[in-house]
Amino acid sequence: MKFNLDAIHIEDGVRTSPLARRVLGALPPGIAVNYVADGREAARPIANVTDSFAAGKRQMTIMRRRSPFLMACPAGSSEFACCGYLVLTLASNCPMDCGYCFLQEYLADNPGFQVYANYADAFDELERLRRNAPVRGFRVGTGELADSLAFDSLTGISRDLVEYFGGRDDLTLELKTKTDEIENLLAIDPKGRTLVSWTLSPDRVFQSTEHRTASPAARIEAARRVLEAGYRVAFHLDPIIAYEGAERDYLELIGNLFDAIAPTRIAFISMGGLRMTPALRAAARRRFPDDPMLVGEEVLAPDGRYRTFMPLRLELYSALSDRIKKSAAKLQTYLCMESPSVHRRVLGEAALPPAALGARLAGS
Amino acid sequence: MSRTATDDEIRRWAAARHLPDAHLARWLALAQEDRAALMEVAETLRLRTGQLVTAFELLEEIALRERVTIVAILARREIRRILDGVGSAPGRARELLDKLRAKRFPRLQRMADRLALEIAALGLPGGIKVVLPKELSSDEVKIEICARGSADLQQLIDAVAQARAGLGRIADLTGGADSIDDEI
Repeated sequence: MKFNLDAIHIEDGVRTSPLARRVLGALPPGIAVNYVADGREAARPIANVTDSFAAGKRQMTIMRRRSPFLMACPAGSSEFACCGYLVLTLASNCPMDCGYCFLQEYLADNPGFQVYANYADAFDELERLRRNAPVRGFRVGTGELADSLAFDSLTGISRDLVEYFGGRDDLTLELKTKTDEIENLLAIDPKGRTLVSWTLSPDRVFQSTEHRTASPAARIEAARRVLEAGYRVAFHLDPIIAYEGAERDYLELIGNLFDAIAPTRIAFISMGGLRMTPALRAAARRRFPDDPMLVGEEVLAPDGRYRTFMPLRLELYSALSDRIKKSAAKLQTYLCMESPSVHRRVLGEAALPPAALGARLAGS
Repeated sequence: MSRTATDDEIRRWAAARHLPDAHLARWLALAQEDRAALMEVAETLRLRTGQLVTAFELLEEIALRERVTIVAILARREIRRILDGVGSAPGRARELLDKLRAKRFPRLQRMADRLALEIAALGLPGGIKVVLPKELSSDEVKIEICARGSADLQQLIDAVAQARAGLGRIADLTGGADSIDDEI
């Protein structure tokens, strides 16, 4: 286990579940284990601590999920070109602590790190999805409300996921991470159905803002290893932070990536600019008052989020897109949470409809 | 001035102008030189409460971005020129906030200045206005035509048509078509 925990709370109803047994079996000594009637209560903010969001990250609650596991990506909106990503919520919150992370706002009321013991029910939901749309391909990810691989050495969930998706040609699993916790993956054959993706940032962003994550170099090395083990790999340059010198650093990062992994072997690269609602920006600045990455040249955009002012944002996107195209003209790229007009300006073509792009990313 | 005297002065200023407690607490938490320098600005330019809050926020953010102290920012020649100037206090207060905004958003300011020059160079008649998005927050450029009568309208439409290439360039610049140099 690479991340620290203060305590584990196990809901009574799932104390004999395979997940609870696996976690207890792999838990290092010295971590308190509590049994609770309702895990939702254990995930609430801890009273009388300065930073309840940070404290919640160190309290793992193993519980039953009451809501559906499968949903459309919450970032999707009619005002944005969308990638058709489907989200499977198997956990909530993340032991890493990135200054820009939207979970600081999204999970402010229930910051406890939740892992859902009944996650196998998600497979039933996926089967229903397949029955209802038999000719489509779907890309389904677990890395929206949690990092897909953080704590995987403890939970081992990735093994069940990769096994399940390995038998279904119409589904692609995307495991999205900022860790290098890939040992479980290396022991399984993904049968071409699992894609592992890393969010990548330049060293300056990593050092300043991405607390407790693996270094960019370690992420790229982990990607190289899973690629050799038969997985597909993809990368997210998201959020792109437009600090002075950012263009040079991001171009260097892409160069380092392509030196380590031939661009023809990368499934896709997405890009997205830093975006923060006013509430998220306030929370982030309160928690990380000394981080200069959080006081860039962001202005209130028409969608109600603070974003880098448009000409600078588009200039950065275009420079990175040109660099990617120069090395691999056919490498699929897309923008996250940007309008169709921005998509057209940067990538030189109209954005595909969500279902079409989703299917293309699933198959790329 | 002693630390206690400065703090008393800050508290008096805050009480007289109903400065919210959270801002007062942040002000008093600054280093001694920083809070005294901010007090001097508030007094010299007779800042209103909202202006103080804005200036304070801008100064804090510039200090973080540039890794300098607030007192060092306020000691810069272009800022001292405003503080020591002879114009009206409200006019100098506005000038100070404009200057601080330009420091806080240097590349945005350069881009806005450049677009303003490009628009001016088009020499459009008074009835035509090129409206850029506030703080260049989107890529949407509007052309407003304000005409009185059909002949006037026709002339203005012709002027827009003649400026087509220049207007197109402005729309492209707003959409990031050219490089914005990093600050040197």
